[in-house]
Amino acid sequence: MYGPRHLYSRHIHERELRFLALVLLTGCVIALQLGEGLRLAGLQGAGWRAIDLPALERRIDVGNLSEHEAVWYHEATRQETHATGAEQRP
Amino acid sequence: MTAVTCELCPRGCVIPEGAAGDCRIRVNLGGRLRATTYGRPSAVHIDPMEKKPLYHFLPGAPVFSIATAGCNLHCLNCQNWQLSQRGGEEMEEIYRLDPPELVRAAREEGCRSIAYTYSDPIVFYEYVYDTAELAHAQRLANCFITAAYINREPLRKLCGVIDAVNADLKAFDDGFYRRVNGATLKPVLDALVTMREEGVWLEVTNLLIPTLNDDPAMIRRLARWVHDELGPGTPLHFSRFQPLYRMRNLPPTPVETLDLARREAKDVGMEHVYVGNVLGHEGNSTYCPRDGTLLIGRVGFMITHYALTPDGRCPSCNERIPGVWRSAELFGEQP
Ligand code: SF4
Repeated sequence: MYGPRHLYSRHIHERELRFLALVLLTGCVIALQLGEGLRLAGLQGAGWRAIDLPALERRIDVGNLSEHEAVWYHEATRQETHATGAEQRP
Repeated sequence: MTAVTCELCPRGCVIPEGAAGDCRIRVNLGGRLRATTYGRPSAVHIDPMEKKPLYHFLPGAPVFSIATAGCNLHCLNCQNWQLSQRGGEEMEEIYRLDPPELVRAAREEGCRSIAYTYSDPIVFYEYVYDTAELAHAQRLANCFITAAYINREPLRKLCGVIDAVNADLKAFDDGFYRRVNGATLKPVLDALVTMREEGVWLEVTNLLIPTLNDDPAMIRRLARWVHDELGPGTPLHFSRFQPLYRMRNLPPTPVETLDLARREAKDVGMEHVYVGNVLGHEGNSTYCPRDGTLLIGRVGFMITHYALTPDGRCPSCNERIPGVWRSAELFGEQP
């Protein structure tokens, strides 16, 4: 038997596939966004922030910001660096 | 790649090259930590001393007030978040005022004091320190308005050039500090004790936020701690909350809550308890703790009545009121 009922069910099948593809695509986009967010969050370990470095350097170059060396700091020990994930480049 | 560890505040940020500390303005460039807003304030105003609020320090004096971007706290109710929660490279407005120019500008504007304020000046420590030293050399007083989240050694050194502090004690509850400010309570308490030990004039502000830190028992604990550790003569300001930034879901503090806080603090023996951000409240004014005489009447930031003797005493009972009432008390009489 190959009647209208059969055609109807094949039509449903195609529509479902298209819908499924759309859902998968949306899922991928969300996953990519989340992944990027998590990557940035992971980079910003305990107590440091990624910044817009080119913007900072531009403003230092024109004298709007300063390169004045801070006091009260030391070169991080290997242990400190490792514990906070600060060995990763922002 | 050389990471650096900042020792200035209890966060102790370990900062890789090309990144900033949590306060956004201390940046590791080439393995050295840079104070990127040194000499580059983003807010410059002349305020009355009462706005800081400092009620027992040179009353009525205009104070040259500055701040740069950045802060080491992240309060959900921040009043100055456009300034404090941004890095220098994100600011539209930046002024060039290196320490000598800043001191000169303050003098030219007729100010005998400079306030480091608005954001938290801890994060632009080097700028404060160098300016404050120069200011002292020219008989200008230095006021530091802060949340006191700073390590002991840097604070000790800073106290050598600072004359007055208003410190925000946000709640007497570590959980509150963690949830609302992204900080912890103990370092703040330690810092206040250090300031007292170092002889800096100190006033304390507690902003009361409905449902979060307005429990009378907590207020009483806070006042008792101030009484026992800092002294009963320490001015204590209870300030009214206004819904701002990320805390717009709560109403302004009812005046009754501020009245209650004032009563609690007086009950534990605090002698100078003020109510802030409520215009015309009797708690804006200073009274003699011994006989109740009105000594300094204030409406908002304006002084409407002044009865203290030149050496800071009550004119009727001669009680000495703690404070710094004339700049001669800091620098001696003008030669
Ligand atoms: S001052 Fe800034 S960089 Fe230094 S520890 Fe505190 S938040 Fe981190």
